[in-house]
Amino acid sequence: MTTLSRVASRSVSYVTLVVIAIVGIFPIGYLFLLSTKRRIDIGEVPPSLKIEWSVVVENYKEVLFDRSYVSSTINTLIITSIVVVLSLVIGTPAAYSLSRLKVKGSERISTTILSLRFMPPVAVAVPILLSMRFLHVANTRIGLIIPYVAFSLPLVIWILIGFFDEIPTEIDEAAEIDGANKWRTLLQVLLPLVRPGIVVAGIFAAIFIWNEFLIGMYVIDSEALKTVPIADAGLISAQRPIDWNVAATVGVVTLIPLLIGSMAIQKHIVQGITAGAVK
Amino acid sequence: MLYSLGISFFEFDRVAGKWNFLGLGNYKEILSDKVFWSSILVTGVMVGVALIVEVVAGVSLAIFFGQKLKGSKFVRAILITPMILNPVVVGLMWRALLNPQWGLINWFIGLFGIDNPPIWLADPKWTLWTLIFVDIWQWTPFIFVVVFARYQALPMDVFESARVDGASPLKIIRYITLPLVSSAVVFAAIFRGIDSFRTFDLVYGLTFGGPGRSTTTLSFYSFENGFVYYRYGFASALSYIMVIMATIGFSVLLKWIPVRRNH
Repeated sequence: MTTLSRVASRSVSYVTLVVIAIVGIFPIGYLFLLSTKRRIDIGEVPPSLKIEWSVVVENYKEVLFDRSYVSSTINTLIITSIVVVLSLVIGTPAAYSLSRLKVKGSERISTTILSLRFMPPVAVAVPILLSMRFLHVANTRIGLIIPYVAFSLPLVIWILIGFFDEIPTEIDEAAEIDGANKWRTLLQVLLPLVRPGIVVAGIFAAIFIWNEFLIGMYVIDSEALKTVPIADAGLISAQRPIDWNVAATVGVVTLIPLLIGSMAIQKHIVQGITAGAVK
Repeated sequence: MLYSLGISFFEFDRVAGKWNFLGLGNYKEILSDKVFWSSILVTGVMVGVALIVEVVAGVSLAIFFGQKLKGSKFVRAILITPMILNPVVVGLMWRALLNPQWGLINWFIGLFGIDNPPIWLADPKWTLWTLIFVDIWQWTPFIFVVVFARYQALPMDVFESARVDGASPLKIIRYITLPLVSSAVVFAAIFRGIDSFRTFDLVYGLTFGGPGRSTTTLSFYSFENGFVYYRYGFASALSYIMVIMATIGFSVLLKWIPVRRNH
């Protein structure tokens, strides 16, 4: 009886798993399918699954080269990696001190940091553009990197505070007794323990930057420095009746680098989690 | 930030190319603006409904994936993809899926013999719900990932000993899992709440605020004023009202969090 009910609950679980997978993947699969169609074949319901390679090549060639998505992607990649590294380098010690050093008002500081996130990008776009002009970095990569680091820090710091808080302070104390100063405690003892947190924070920061376009639209003028989301947003404003096959191809091209990135990193998440669990 | 506070008291005259001081004029105009109040309603409904569904679904998913079924790693990777998609692209994608002539969704509904499926993105009765649905589709994974990361970091022996003591799975979830992950849940919910409060890019991609004003969120309205009508002052004032509202909401929340932690 118990085995029977166990089998039943197992199969319910697996059905649920499959449903979740379908709900998650189906729209994206549709995006892939649309990106393989001719303009006139978009209206076919249900769309045929036959893929003509010449059409695929044509669509992707248009997006990657005529719309210069290759250079946008490389550009976004550079900006995103610099921003992620900078925010983690600044954010980790910040989170450590907010979690450990009980400075008066550290609660207040951390809420203030978070409140910076309430600001809708719409509100800060113009002031940011003017500040970047003032620093003579408008329309350069640095002009994007500065505001992006500022935007991702709250998220990074808040994720990491949570992870630092989970680590018992006895570990710090033990390291201190062994003669480590605060920096060494952080770098050699705590850092390995919060690794899953750092990975998660880095991924989230990367996602938000990869998709940010409003600030980018204002700071960057030149075609050559455009990031992918800025180019994506151009799809909507530039052409009224949307070319769905091109739009879908753009979507796929935008998605793939992040997909590869998150898959490459997933191994590290698992490693980080197991490393944290041993203690 | 302070700069935009400054310009919220001014009006930019494009013809003359200079700023006129209005004092609180922008704020007064906003408060008597019908669209402002309707966009508060739209934003409120959207944040409320989407957040509740996302938290419940995200936490359930985290617990579900805690079972470590075969193949769940693969499904987990799929599940995360909506979140990494650019919201503008997500908006476009759903516009294609929901297209009244050739979208797959209405074709699918038609298979069940329903002849007049709603025109999801053109009928003001449905658009807001469509927007909320897409938001849920895209962002439930965020809650899931944060909660799941915490869940995975929990010491497994707690669950083992509870099981040995004969606690039912539901009891374990209620009395052990949920309290232990609650801080992660609160964290994820706060961030999602903030981001959904300022949702702009999804609206930009999916509905552009319409039809009519049915999906004009506060932040989209601010965008429209600032960048379509070049009313920077008005847009900044609007954003400041948003910040004030969010800060009030947030401090109320913060009072509530430590209470949860003590349980």
